[in-house]
Amino acid sequence: MSEKRNRMVEKSNNKRRRVKLVPEFSINDHQDVLVEILRRLDGPSLCSAACVCRLWSAVARNDSIWEELCFRQVSPRPSPSLRSIVSALGGYRRLYFICIRPVLARLPTIIWSHDQLQLSLSLYCVHSYERLYVGAWLGDAPPSSLMFLRKPVNVV
Amino acid sequence: MKRDLHQFQGPDTRFPNHGTPNTLSSSSSSKDKLMMIKEEEDGGNMDELLAVLGYKVRSSEMAEVALKLEQLETMMGNVQEDGLSNLATDTVHYNPSELYSWLDNMLTEFNPPPPEINSSFLAGAGGSDYDLKAIPGNAVFARSNHFAIDSSSSSNQAGDNNSKRLKSCSSPDSLVTGTTTVTTTTTTTTATESTRSAALATESTRSMVLVDSQENGVRLVHALMACAEAIQNGDLSIAEALVKQIGFLAVSQAGAMRKVATYFAEALARRIYRLSPPQTQIDHSLSDTLQMHFYETCPYLKFAHFTANQAILEAFEGKKRVHVIDFSMNQGLQWPALMQALALREGGPPVFRLTGIGPPAADNSDHLHEVGCKLAQLAEAIHVEFEYRGFVANSLADLDASMLELRPSETEAVAVNSVFELHKLLGRPGGIEKVLGVVKQIKPVIFTVVEQESSHNGPVFLDRFTESLHYYSTLFDSLEGVPSCQDKVMSEVYLGKQICNLVACEGPDRVERHETLSQWANRFGSSGFAPAHLGSNAFKQASMLLALFNGGEGYRVEENNGCLMLGWHTRPLITTSAWKLSAAH
Repeated sequence: MSEKRNRMVEKSNNKRRRVKLVPEFSINDHQDVLVEILRRLDGPSLCSAACVCRLWSAVARNDSIWEELCFRQVSPRPSPSLRSIVSALGGYRRLYFICIRPVLARLPTIIWSHDQLQLSLSLYCVHSYERLYVGAWLGDAPPSSLMFLRKPVNVV
Repeated sequence: MKRDLHQFQGPDTRFPNHGTPNTLSSSSSSKDKLMMIKEEEDGGNMDELLAVLGYKVRSSEMAEVALKLEQLETMMGNVQEDGLSNLATDTVHYNPSELYSWLDNMLTEFNPPPPEINSSFLAGAGGSDYDLKAIPGNAVFARSNHFAIDSSSSSNQAGDNNSKRLKSCSSPDSLVTGTTTVTTTTTTTTATESTRSAALATESTRSMVLVDSQENGVRLVHALMACAEAIQNGDLSIAEALVKQIGFLAVSQAGAMRKVATYFAEALARRIYRLSPPQTQIDHSLSDTLQMHFYETCPYLKFAHFTANQAILEAFEGKKRVHVIDFSMNQGLQWPALMQALALREGGPPVFRLTGIGPPAADNSDHLHEVGCKLAQLAEAIHVEFEYRGFVANSLADLDASMLELRPSETEAVAVNSVFELHKLLGRPGGIEKVLGVVKQIKPVIFTVVEQESSHNGPVFLDRFTESLHYYSTLFDSLEGVPSCQDKVMSEVYLGKQICNLVACEGPDRVERHETLSQWANRFGSSGFAPAHLGSNAFKQASMLLALFNGGEGYRVEENNGCLMLGWHTRPLITTSAWKLSAAH
């Protein structure tokens, strides 16, 4: 019995030695690779990934990941000039959560062409305008023109 | 039981000369003996309250009995006008206990009620007059006296027939007296008792009638129409009584109908009592707030802005410098989207100049300037060259083309935009013509107009009322799908203010003078504008926008001669149209 055990321990030791010969690879040391991987995820998976650890959460805030997510189904792909505008309005991550995701939820069969993209951007633009510049002039709650996109909560 | 009925002895035992004012107040007296007999006979499915007073009415027939009582009273009131004076001079006291069949007989004896809606609603007025009678005061009793003297009853001959019929209905002869003269002194003293108990009786019947809300919905609409007609005819007292009834009926409804009825009732009351609604100029900040909430709750304003923007965007294609003149600046919510679209177009954004025109603010703050600052900040963020000028004007007709600092059209393309503003000019003579003249002087490449699609500017008040009742009912219906929140309430207040202005105001105060697309098209056509078709892009964007609202159920986009109409189910509610100067100009 003990001989068998000794042999098993030896085997595992060998394995460990073998592994040591190969340089360790940690994805956390290569954040650009991590970004590339996260870029290919879908929405829910991306959100799960963002919950893994603080580092991944910070990496997931990289806007290019969300840009990919927003425009994956859009063809033709919008021009790069869109990037600066969307960043000015609040970024792709916000665009996805506020606008694209509710739209996809409500119209799952939507075909994303120029008009649909234009409308989404217009809605996002008005929302950003209200959020950034109009502020809380209405009193308690800041205005939100995209209230209609939120799921209605049953308040009895 | 017997002791309670003691004071309600029948006329032939206590008041031999007592001729009660009319049949309704006659219902107050009773015969306890008769009541007990009847109860035994019919097995007691009679209404208890009325049974106390000595009247046998089956609970199931209550609504009908009430209706017939009202009809009977109307006809008796109307008989005087029909010239049957012999009926007016004599009064007969009836005191039947079997109300249902007796009413049937009485009604068939008279001419059939006229087909117009008026009669049954005057009856409603008569019914609600009893509410008024509960309030002490000379005027009220004067009214009952009026009824006392003028009310008719059947002549002798008819009386005989009646007694015969009543006999067949197993009511005792003692209930029917011969013709008696009415003395005012006795009627005033007994009127109090009788009217109060009559009020009780009618109130008890009324509370039974209200249980069926669908029937009440129909009654409500009829009452609204009757009230409007009464106002148009100048019968303010009838209108007043009807308004109270409307208020009562509106509460029995639920949802959109209740809200619409409440707003219309308030507006009608304001019109009757000549209470002017608060001036919108004073409340400009409030109306701005309300419009913001309306913007958020439902797609109408968004539809307006996005379709107009698409038209302007297409018209500005290839232009390096563009200028937009906005007649409806408010909070400038339309322009961020246009600026973003211009920023994204191929070839880069043009130089964007915006001139905003709005009414003066109540607190003398330069809110147009503030809006301009905010838009400028956004423009800077998205790298669009932006220039802004704000103009304060009480009315668009005060504008002149020279004020607008127009630059030569080779360098700058101009667009004029108006969302729900042009109809306000129709109250003043010459207003709209002046503004259209100014627009022509501006020489825009496109003139976008969004207006409500309804005819609320006819010369006849009743027609306007009917149209607006349908229009706002549809609008409120479309809001019903929105989950309840502060936004929704404020949107309803926003619409309620429009209703108030439309119904309660007249002359230059009435600014909500909506007109249909065809009317506007005629006006624009004769002023030298030709329609510019909105493209399919606008249609697709509008369709997508509506699909996002509540799954798009109910909302419809229609294309009509190049204009886009947004409607709820089959009813178009707002229209976006685009115009350019016709070739001759």
